[in-house]
Amino acid sequence: MFKSKIIISTTIFLILLITTSIIKNKTRIIEKNIFSLNKKIVLKEKDINESQLDFYFVASPSEIEKKIKILGQNSYSPIKNSKIFLKLSNFKNFYKKISAIDTQDEKKKN
Amino acid sequence: MKKKKIKNINQASFYFEDYLETNKKNKYLKKKDNFQDRIYLLFFLFASLILIFSIKIVHLSLNKKPSFNQDVMSSKYFLTRRDIVDRNGILISRNINSSHVAVVPKLIKNKKNFLIKLRLHFPELKINKIKKKIDSGKYFYLKKRIDQSEKERFWALGEKAIKFENFQARMYTHGNLFNHDIVGQVDYDNYGISGIEKYFDKELKDKKFIKNPLKLTLDTNIQYLISEELNAAITTFKATGGGALLIDVNNGDILSLVSLPNFNINKRLTIKDKKYTNKITKGVYELGSIFKTFTIALALENNLVKSETIIKDIPRSLRCSIHKISDMKEHPRDLSVEEILIRSSNVGSVILAKKIGENRFKEFLENTQLTKSPDLEIEEVGVPHKIRWDKCKLETVSYGHGITTTPLQAASIYAAISNGGKLVKPSLVKNRKNLDHKYLISAETSTTVNNILRKVVSNKEGTAHLADEEGYYVGGKTGTAESYGNKKDRINTFISVFPTNKPKYSLLIMLENPQINKDLIYNYRGVKVKAPYNTSGWNSVYVAGKIIKKIGPILAINNNEFTNQYVTEKFN
Repeated sequence: MFKSKIIISTTIFLILLITTSIIKNKTRIIEKNIFSLNKKIVLKEKDINESQLDFYFVASPSEIEKKIKILGQNSYSPIKNSKIFLKLSNFKNFYKKISAIDTQDEKKKN
Repeated sequence: MKKKKIKNINQASFYFEDYLETNKKNKYLKKKDNFQDRIYLLFFLFASLILIFSIKIVHLSLNKKPSFNQDVMSSKYFLTRRDIVDRNGILISRNINSSHVAVVPKLIKNKKNFLIKLRLHFPELKINKIKKKIDSGKYFYLKKRIDQSEKERFWALGEKAIKFENFQARMYTHGNLFNHDIVGQVDYDNYGISGIEKYFDKELKDKKFIKNPLKLTLDTNIQYLISEELNAAITTFKATGGGALLIDVNNGDILSLVSLPNFNINKRLTIKDKKYTNKITKGVYELGSIFKTFTIALALENNLVKSETIIKDIPRSLRCSIHKISDMKEHPRDLSVEEILIRSSNVGSVILAKKIGENRFKEFLENTQLTKSPDLEIEEVGVPHKIRWDKCKLETVSYGHGITTTPLQAASIYAAISNGGKLVKPSLVKNRKNLDHKYLISAETSTTVNNILRKVVSNKEGTAHLADEEGYYVGGKTGTAESYGNKKDRINTFISVFPTNKPKYSLLIMLENPQINKDLIYNYRGVKVKAPYNTSGWNSVYVAGKIIKKIGPILAINNNEFTNQYVTEKFN
């Protein structure tokens, strides 16, 4: 009776001990992975930051204008205010009026 | 068997045998309980351990901050200063990792060889100075803020004595687009030393908000367009400098602030030359005829006159004490109040100022705070000269002489006059909480003044017709004055408001000592005209017109404010 109890409790103890050590080991591995991943994330963030910095430099108005000059293309020219249509309906109304004026002119000519 | 025994235990009579048997049974049960308890305890202990490890894993995975030593890593990987972005989120400044290269003289094995290597690979370094520093035996910096390629070149020397010190450098993506005293600069120890960088130093270093950029009201694209146009104007008119300010009249947001000449703020320079002073915030000037608008607004607000009231028999000149006050051009003797502003009559303004009186003028200046330092989120602001109300002061102040202020303040008062009378505090930072507005003039007076300002631009007799850009309803006032304390310096200014039917923006253009460019041919209402004269700030007007033509569409597209009203009206 006594022996069986010792055997049972020792077995349970050993099983739990092994399980715990396995879990502990797994935890350590996971912990290491988390550390290295965090480090990678930080490095990636740093890379993103520097790439963004490059992007904003390259895309700055002065740099874009320099590139346009190098490519020999025409410089920017502002859009006339009268050509700005903030709504499609405005655009349609505008051209309706123009076509109406044109037809009136043609009628007058004829 | 067991059942029988239990029966025996529960029996009413008591025998010694029964007692023994009961005792035995109890001992057995107790032993059994102890064994169970131990097993439970064992389970509990291991379960606790497993739970602790599980909690640790969960904690590690959920914890956002990396648990490795941040202090050691911070200089290498983590930003120590927040970004600064413009109103559209375009990056203006950001920290990057950089290095200083230093020398530990004690670790140099062969001094001669070391110096030869340096001379060969880095001819720009002053070898004699380095030699002296090596002889002193103290640790010293060979070069500060080096880039990666330079670091690699130093590394390639293979000298133990060369050490690299990591630090974070501040990069400004737009170089000289934003002035050194607006966005500012940072020293090698990450302390803001000027502009926004200095004013918001604590907030910019706050680790809680390190990933949230500081948003400014400035607009990079508009800043660039204005800066380019102003630079071109300085060349065209051989001016010694210039400034521009674009402000939202309804909330005081500064969209653009340019002061020329300027320099690349990525370079740390010791600036002693006054020409680099910020002309808009720190420059203090007598802005001249710009002040006539205030005189007219004050006369209208106090119901002393109406815009169409005719002031009769305006003399050619007035004498006040020993001073002679006269007009640049000869005007008709009878002028309406609005014509006084349109034609920019000094004498007319003096007559109106006398009607207003010194007390009302003083009160107006007190309300506008024009003679006090401007309240802005930078420390580089000017201090206007104290005004002494002696004889003739009222007369000269009425047309902007004998009183100094910064262009920033003048433009913000134009904003207040045009927006319905509401005083606005100019600002460089978005999302402020300063909504306690005071009213300078009534909405009615504001509308009247806007109409007059429009006529200054649209009227044939107006001094600012070169800024009459189609569709933008530009209104404004010119000003020509001498620089305070230096009569040789002349300042040509134009403050415009557009669109005058529903004012949204105020643009100030200032040129320092512009010269006549006789070869300049400009387009005035479809007619090509040669440059006429150099007074009444016409060259500032010319520049303002060109700028409005360029930035107008951007403002219209971004803000959905402008409509194609002009076109609609044209075809109706």
